[in-house]
Amino acid sequence: MWDQVKQALNQSTTKFLTELAHLLPGVVALIVALLISCILAWVLAIVVRRLLAGVHFDEQLGRWGFASLKEWSPMNSPTRLVSRTTACLVILSGFLIGIAAFDAESTSLLVRSILAYIPNIVGAMLVLLVGSIVASFLARSVLIGAVNLNLQYARLLSLGVKWLVLVLAVAMALEHLKIAPGIVDLAFGILFGGIVLTLVLAVGLNSRELVSKSLERDAKEPSGEHVEEPFRHV
Amino acid sequence: MEVDAIPQQTQEQPAQIDSADLVVGILADLGQDGVLKVCEGFLNLSGSHRIVVLQRDPVGDPAVANSQSAPEGSSLSFLPWSAAGPDPLAAPTQTISIACQSLFAMTDKLGARACCFVASEMENATPQWVCQLLQPLVESDFDLVAPYYAPRMFQGLLNSSIIYPLTRCLYGKRIHNPFGPDVGVSRRLAAKILGANRSNNGGSNQTHPLSLLAPIAACDNLQLCQVHVGARAYPPTDWTNMSSLLAQVLGPIFIEMERSAACWQRTRGSVSVPVHGECQDPSQETSGLDLNRMAETFRLGIRDLQEIWSLVLPPATLFELRKLSRSTADLVNMPDELWARIVYDFALAHRLQTINRDHLLRSMTPLYLAWIVSYARELETAGPARVEQRIEHLALAYEAAKPYLISRWRWPDRFNP
Repeated sequence: MWDQVKQALNQSTTKFLTELAHLLPGVVALIVALLISCILAWVLAIVVRRLLAGVHFDEQLGRWGFASLKEWSPMNSPTRLVSRTTACLVILSGFLIGIAAFDAESTSLLVRSILAYIPNIVGAMLVLLVGSIVASFLARSVLIGAVNLNLQYARLLSLGVKWLVLVLAVAMALEHLKIAPGIVDLAFGILFGGIVLTLVLAVGLNSRELVSKSLERDAKEPSGEHVEEPFRHV
Repeated sequence: MEVDAIPQQTQEQPAQIDSADLVVGILADLGQDGVLKVCEGFLNLSGSHRIVVLQRDPVGDPAVANSQSAPEGSSLSFLPWSAAGPDPLAAPTQTISIACQSLFAMTDKLGARACCFVASEMENATPQWVCQLLQPLVESDFDLVAPYYAPRMFQGLLNSSIIYPLTRCLYGKRIHNPFGPDVGVSRRLAAKILGANRSNNGGSNQTHPLSLLAPIAACDNLQLCQVHVGARAYPPTDWTNMSSLLAQVLGPIFIEMERSAACWQRTRGSVSVPVHGECQDPSQETSGLDLNRMAETFRLGIRDLQEIWSLVLPPATLFELRKLSRSTADLVNMPDELWARIVYDFALAHRLQTINRDHLLRSMTPLYLAWIVSYARELETAGPARVEQRIEHLALAYEAAKPYLISRWRWPDRFNP
């Protein structure tokens, strides 16, 4: 009885060690791939950072109308954001190559599905980036316009517009990532509707007078005849 | 030749007219009688001239008009002027710009000696007022004849608060209405303006021809003068839409400031420009401005726009603005020195494109309204005689702050008090 137990234990130990020995080259390959990719990422990040600093990327970005990207960047520097993103992508690629070195069918499948998912992630990130830029731009437009119209709730209006666009962008990104699409649709509908309703109530209750004055003025002016020419005022 | 700038309808008509001495463009809605009255004034011009009048609406039978108003030995031709293209309502803000461009192009094409642009109506207009703008061009070879409207307390405030003092300080010439819009321009200056706009090649830096007049004339050492033309009838101001006005008027000024930076950085102080004609005393007028609302908009700006202003204005200016906002009710007293520095900071931010340019200019509105409150409160009790003195004080403040502008313009990152 004891011999049988001993034999079974020996067999399982041998099996475990054999499996471990099988895995070791893969693990070593993964570590080597990660090390190489880290060094490559580090070099590439330095090159990208120097190149972008050379062309004054941060300042140029502001001129191209993407000034809000600074807010999202580490240390308010889009150059750092781009160089770090490049480094992360290289390390991720090294990790995927390292996993593929296991040469097991299951890991290949995993790698293949991860690779197939990357375009979705990139697409979602792009949607989020554009969404945040548009949200900031519109929020600033609304804020300035509302202050110039002497609306006391200018900031609320601006925040409402910003979150409206951000919620839309996040919902689109999640849809792109195929994460619980049903729940996202429902949550988006509720949240978007809620924000619109809040804004309608806030504006409607506070600016009845303004709207009626505006309508009265429009009714008095013969349509199309009044052409405002700024240089006539100077 | 800037033939593209001439609207199609205008191009078709002058086929028979291959040359002229003077071209007069009347964009103002003067009506048939008004145009004929202006043409009567041409009788006062010395010598005989072939005059081409471009106008929005035809003056009845041109033959009748010609026979009635042409000076002896002179010829007068009328051409319809669809300055704003087929649909004048399509791009209202561009109307004067397009009209000016086409007038200058027509002057160049016809080889005329000079042209005159009429865009305003005058209170108590005399037949001679347009002729007064032409006389210095014809008789004394001036290149730019700018109007000198009778000073008004509460009209043309954008000119009084920014355009006049800024142009005077930058280019060193005391032209009281540098943007006209009623101006006399020599062919030489018209060709330079067409050339400047052509070199911009229709890009985003395309400026307004009127904003180019004084800078080009001053930087190229052309002959300038001013003419007292009387009191101008201003169209009513839409105070609720002030931000659009600021954006559309200040944009071209700041763009031109960027283009001519080398010229204005060399200029120190200012000199007076000769004035022709008789000065009219400023008339008493009530402000009719809702100063409480303006002060409230300023306070709202201090509360909600600080985030934007902090990208444009240095901390010391922001601190002073916060102090101003704490003053009681509508008693906002903005010192001229502070206002001049604010305008300079916005000009610099426009150049650096710190934020979107339209946002930048529109965000200046509450500050402009604060200046108006401060100005109106001061002049309410002082009376109209003090208007010119008050504007002179402001212009001197702009001149005193010019070293600040130059330092910030040259070293925007290093010089940030």
